[in-house]
Amino acid sequence: MIHFDADSLGEKVLRRFAGGTSRRGILARLGTALVAAPLFPVLPVSRANAAPAKPDRGPEAKTTFARGAQVTDNTKCDYWRYCAIDGALCTCCGGGVHTCPAGAEPSPVSWVGTCVNPEDGKSYLIAYRDCCGKSYCNKCNCDNADRETQIYVPQLNNDIIWCFGTQSMEYHCSTAVLVGAA
Amino acid sequence: MTFAAIKGRFLATATLAVALAGGLPGALAPSAMAAPVAAPIASVEPEQSDVAQLTPPKTSWFFINGGFTSNSSVIYDTVSGKLIGHVETPQLTDLALDPAGKFYYVSSTLWTKGLRGTRQDYVSVFDSVDLKLQADIAMPGRLLVGGRMNNFVVSPDGKFGYVYNMSPASSVNVIDLTARKFVKTVELPGCASLVPVPGVGLSALCSDGSLATLSLAGGKSQITRSDPFFSATDDPIFDNFEVDRGHNQIVMLSYTGKVYTATLGTKPVIAAPFSLQEAAGVPAGSAAPNQVNWYPGGVQQMALHRATGQVYILMHMGEFWSHKAGASEVWQLDLASHKVVKRMAVPGEPRMIAVTQEAAPHLVFAGEDETVYVYDLATGKQAWKLDHAGNGVITVAQPQ
Repeated sequence: MIHFDADSLGEKVLRRFAGGTSRRGILARLGTALVAAPLFPVLPVSRANAAPAKPDRGPEAKTTFARGAQVTDNTKCDYWRYCAIDGALCTCCGGGVHTCPAGAEPSPVSWVGTCVNPEDGKSYLIAYRDCCGKSYCNKCNCDNADRETQIYVPQLNNDIIWCFGTQSMEYHCSTAVLVGAA
Repeated sequence: MTFAAIKGRFLATATLAVALAGGLPGALAPSAMAAPVAAPIASVEPEQSDVAQLTPPKTSWFFINGGFTSNSSVIYDTVSGKLIGHVETPQLTDLALDPAGKFYYVSSTLWTKGLRGTRQDYVSVFDSVDLKLQADIAMPGRLLVGGRMNNFVVSPDGKFGYVYNMSPASSVNVIDLTARKFVKTVELPGCASLVPVPGVGLSALCSDGSLATLSLAGGKSQITRSDPFFSATDDPIFDNFEVDRGHNQIVMLSYTGKVYTATLGTKPVIAAPFSLQEAAGVPAGSAAPNQVNWYPGGVQQMALHRATGQVYILMHMGEFWSHKAGASEVWQLDLASHKVVKRMAVPGEPRMIAVTQEAAPHLVFAGEDETVYVYDLATGKQAWKLDHAGNGVITVAQPQ
């Protein structure tokens, strides 16, 4: 059975984020939202997953999405990084795969997915950062759900509006930022 | 324009019309030669604008949220197929019905300048007969997410509302609906999806695979957790579980198709799960890759007819992690016997399903194209097909 270590994923995303951002800037900008975000790794999920099995990412474990994913067109729902994306693609809204459209603001926290790159067969950690502060783009709407869970595991749920710590929580579109190897 | 002005203008127009008719005898001559039987004339008495009133919600009604970009929930009657009215439910709000049928409650978030400005979170109270706003009850915050039935729930006695909040730390806002006041925020770490527990407080599903019970009695809050009984990441339970007030239990469904029931209380009792697929005589669902099978799916995946213990579940053929897919069949599960007693092919790839709580219930389901189908469960036939009706959460009224 695929065993998914939600806690280490959350930690990895947060560490990567912390490594590339000034702490003072974060605190000034995010206030309580970001202070609360690092609580995720100590949520009870960490106890439930205390001794996880190694995730099986072999070709035989590929999901329906991974078997049909492509690497050339990031304005399509079957682009490999979008295995767990839900919402409008920012690539169709004047932005890019890791770029918010003009006037929008990227959310510093996000939900995460683990997607298989068809070119090398390896799994990568993808942070689905919402772009916020503008009305819903409503173009190229996708709803993929590999390893997506429910709102009691919020960092792995893609229905939640992830515009925490931004000036406005209005949702515009979603990006798929490559964090690193899973 | 005032009513007097409208009336005066109408009289002037009517006088002019009569004068013109009288001045054109030639134009009327042919009809004057025909048989002088005039068609009955609808009332031409001057009218006043008025406003419709509703009855309190009926068990034959359903409320369908228009969807992500919509600002209202539409009320339809499953017996007549007619549109009854709209309850204002702006984007990403949650609707809850007063158990006594007097009010509609809407948990909302809006900014002072449309998409920007100061964020405001509040529960709006609407009278169920005239749909007029009674009050806005301000509160500290709420989770912004669509398609959830259990983020804003009302206690069975109608006295308290509970609003799930995530900032992103998890908590619950307690609202006194009688006094129409926010009471307090109670932390609920690692858990979400709420069900009121009479005399205790509420319960919620948690990321460690347990059911937490939040005791609110006596002004002091305390959280206890059941032993873990499911895996929140390997085979999650859909957070849109159903509540059976008559048996004081919740009915839950996992991605692979395991059916769980929990009897609520200070210490909830969780029954051993069973496989929905095996209940239908097909192999049990699996979380393993490359296993094509029938799986439950959608956004509002199941509906419980409480009086008869029948659960209607959206099913599709696929593999694990296809839990948001639209359905090709609805399976009718008899909870008492653990048997799937009927399988119905359904159109429209529905992702939302509800069942009215009438003695002769109607099944209501909707897919992404906003077409809503209403089936008469006595005959198994389609009663109504409602175009452009919505694709959001479907709410039904409970019997009084």
